[in-house]
Amino acid sequence: MAKVSIRNVWKKYGEFPAVKDLNIECPDGSFLSILGPSGCGKSSTMRMIAGLEHITAGDIYFDEQRINDLAPKDRDVSMVFENYALYPHKTVFDNMANPLKLRGQDSARIKERVGQAANLLEIGELLHRRPQELSGGQKQRVAIGRAIVREPKLFLFDEPIAHLDAKLRAHMRGEIKHLQRTLGTTMIYVTHDQLEAMSMADTIAVMHEGELQQLGSPREVYNNPVNAWVAGFVGEPAMNFLTCDVRGDGGEVLLAHPNFGIALKPEQVKCLNGRKGGGSVRMGVRPDALNIALERPAEPAIAGEVFVNELLGGDMIVEVQLSDARVRVKTSPEFPGNPGDKCYLTVNRDKWHAFATDTGKAYF
Amino acid sequence: MASRDIVHYDTPLSKAFRWFSAVFIGFYLIWTLLPIFVMFVSSFKDLLEAFKIPAVGDWMGAAVFFDFSPTLTHYENLFRNLNFTSYIVNSLVAAGGSALISVVLGSMCAYSLSRIEFRGKSDLFFWIISTRMAPVVAVMVPLYAIFRSLDLVGTLPGLILAYTTFNLPFAIWILKGFFDNVPYAIEEAQMVDGATRSQAFMSILPLVAPGIGAFLVLCILFAWNDFLFAAIIGSGGAKTLPVATRELVQPQNIQWGSIMAAGVVTTLPMMLLGLVIRRYLVTGLTMGAVKE
Ligand SMILES: Nc1ncnc2c1ncn2[C@@H]1O[C@H](COP(=O)(O)OP(=O)(O)OP(=O)(O)O)[C@@H](O)[C@H]1O
Ligand SMILES: [Mg+2]
Repeated sequence: MAKVSIRNVWKKYGEFPAVKDLNIECPDGSFLSILGPSGCGKSSTMRMIAGLEHITAGDIYFDEQRINDLAPKDRDVSMVFENYALYPHKTVFDNMANPLKLRGQDSARIKERVGQAANLLEIGELLHRRPQELSGGQKQRVAIGRAIVREPKLFLFDEPIAHLDAKLRAHMRGEIKHLQRTLGTTMIYVTHDQLEAMSMADTIAVMHEGELQQLGSPREVYNNPVNAWVAGFVGEPAMNFLTCDVRGDGGEVLLAHPNFGIALKPEQVKCLNGRKGGGSVRMGVRPDALNIALERPAEPAIAGEVFVNELLGGDMIVEVQLSDARVRVKTSPEFPGNPGDKCYLTVNRDKWHAFATDTGKAYF
Repeated sequence: MASRDIVHYDTPLSKAFRWFSAVFIGFYLIWTLLPIFVMFVSSFKDLLEAFKIPAVGDWMGAAVFFDFSPTLTHYENLFRNLNFTSYIVNSLVAAGGSALISVVLGSMCAYSLSRIEFRGKSDLFFWIISTRMAPVVAVMVPLYAIFRSLDLVGTLPGLILAYTTFNLPFAIWILKGFFDNVPYAIEEAQMVDGATRSQAFMSILPLVAPGIGAFLVLCILFAWNDFLFAAIIGSGGAKTLPVATRELVQPQNIQWGSIMAAGVVTTLPMMLLGLVIRRYLVTGLTMGAVKE
């Protein structure tokens, strides 16, 4: 078990910077998820931690030991590779036994550990097969198995359950989380699926184009995104963005949009740093922070027209056409509106955000 | 995957072509197999029987070819009087030794060239393979001079060294292709699992084993069948089968029977080897990407 500190780390492939000045602290025993879209440098970061890629600049520490120049075998990490990287000429059993064999464990112990891992992953009946004879999801489970037969300092999981079906994925999310809790081993878990990161991690590191955007608990990242990009990436369905003017009107400050004008709370006004009059901001509001009704409510509301309804089991997503944009609203399946109907949206004033139009930085 | 049958429809032209192919293959088989067959049969005939030839146009007379009483005298002569046992050993040691050294050194070098990036790598690689571009006779004289001053002429180590010099570049070139086909991820996984670099290298050897095995055989074949090196570098102390056979041709006395028997002794081991490892030879050199 170890604390992992990534300090000012850069990774350049030739001239191309894949990871830019990354700083992450991952406390001992915690579950860190690196979240970001494809190509943002997640795997590059993992591979630098595992020792498979040179660190162009900066340092990585396990506890107080600098590991930049340590060979992979001396770092005592277990890794699940994005592309499985199973040994094609070995059976599932030998694949999973490999890390133990290389560390000179005796065969009784190897059998026991592999058996335990195989049971956990429900691949007990596949132990004698070879990787070519497995489906993608089964290979992925074998790869996880190979990582968990040992008790290393650090687990590195690179999109370990991306190829499983939805039901098995939900099951494995629980299993991996439980495993990490019981062993107490530090875990760094890469994913591009924000739901996975949200549901499993103690801390989420959101990356975009090689840069760390935000480091925080799932709640912080969801409720207080530091910029418009994070706000749009985290959360499903995605946040709605509307460009509004900031307008001082008597004592109040309004966010004005062709369809509506909503007064800000005093503490929100403070966050705008004096941008009381003039200029525009991007207002962001999550689909579940909006209420929709067919009758005009008493409070100020946004008028629009139902564009389309999507029923998602227990929820309904209604897409509403405003004069110049569409917003998505999460509501209950009982919502009676049909496409073309007039409707009114109200906003929970605590649950919306304002971002700078140019930099995307969050005001609140 | 779709079925691998190739759907085939006959046209008059394709039928004619099939006939033509059959005839061609028939001739080709006779052309390649008949000499070996004659050699094999003649090695069991005494000189008079071997030279019984029917008159031109007398097709039935071909039967005299099979009209003989088998004898082992030529083989006895080879092994009793002509010391062929030691020539076989020389051939085996020279061919096996050089093949083994070429493949061991070659796979290590090919692995490094396949995995490590460094400046001038492509130049180095080209230089290695370019050593095979000059014809052997062109380098024979300087090579002989070097070997003589090192006292290697006429010794088995000298012959092994000579064959290795010529097999090694080829081995590196072919084996690099095999290593390139093995995904690097497998070694990465090994190293994270706790293997050293050399353990990781050893762990992927099973994946390239068919290729290495096939190439080992090619090296053996090259050295076993070689005449030029054996005659010049190996002459005297390290006489191999082809050279020994050649010496049976003397100006006054060509020992046809013994030559035929020596031919059989030279050919047979390689044919047996070929049969045993045929499967690997076919899969080995056509080995595609290793599937993960
Ligand atoms: N060996 C390499 N040489 C050059 N560029 C590379 C190399 N490996 C990765 N890159 C580039 O670095 C960037 C980050 O790659 P990385 O594999 O870390 O992305 P990722 O976040 O893991 O993406 P994904 O979710 O698709 O796996 C990408 O733009 C990629 O094209
Ligand atoms: Mg990746």
